[in-house]
Amino acid sequence: MISNMLRFSPSLFAELEGILSSELPGYSRNPAVNYPQVNMGVTDKSVEIYLFVPGMEASSLDVSLEKNLLSISAERAPEETDNKDALSRYERFSGKFKRVITLPDDVDPEQTDATYRDGILHISVAKKEETLPRKIEVSV
Amino acid sequence: MSTTNDKTVSKVENKASTNDLSKSTPSRQQRKMRPAADIYETKEGATIYIDLPGVAKDGLDINIDQNVLSVEGEINLDTPDNLKPTYMDIRANMFSRQFTLSSELDINKVDANLKNGVLVLSIPRSEQHKPRKIEVKAA
Repeated sequence: MISNMLRFSPSLFAELEGILSSELPGYSRNPAVNYPQVNMGVTDKSVEIYLFVPGMEASSLDVSLEKNLLSISAERAPEETDNKDALSRYERFSGKFKRVITLPDDVDPEQTDATYRDGILHISVAKKEETLPRKIEVSV
Repeated sequence: MSTTNDKTVSKVENKASTNDLSKSTPSRQQRKMRPAADIYETKEGATIYIDLPGVAKDGLDINIDQNVLSVEGEINLDTPDNLKPTYMDIRANMFSRQFTLSSELDINKVDANLKNGVLVLSIPRSEQHKPRKIEVKAA
């Protein structure tokens, strides 16, 4: 009985999808609204940050790390075309952006590595040595 | 008659996502996401810019079936094996989008160029659909 109640029809999801994709305040499926998107994760030794910033040159990306505040800013220029009137669909972000990310307190700002490939800015920040997990031998 | 307002490229409404939802068990392997695109249309043809961050050339798949142009790209972030995600704006591992092309466009001459995660597709108008200027001879 309960399991029947929990089973939604596929059309319900399609309907919900339709509602979500319409212009609701504070919600947009348009990536340009929340630009750039970012994924983050941690390993034992580092914090890894991935920013989705397609169509940039590596030299135009401004990355700085102050203590545990990581800021990334740049400007994404619109495509250069001869005929602006020819634009019939416009979804991609263009303009200035800045994103500030608070990293965990145990990062070491001296050991940072940033690479730009296939439109992804990957920043890797090492954790401080003293906070790395250590195995303690138990002597018998 | 002017042809400049004719829509030569239009979006197939949620075709991919509704197909996925109709399956009883959605695949966990493929989480698709619709990439942002800009479309320019000129007398010469159409140019489509698609944002595909994280997609390399070998992870990109472009297909034309009848008049539907499909673009699929695998998002590869090259994450370390032991990475524990803490925050994710993008949970999809695949970009997927379809465009319906007008018969005025020459699908045999699609030019695709992927650079820094942006795919540029140039599709020329077929010769017989290009606007022609007709010279009027003086009598």
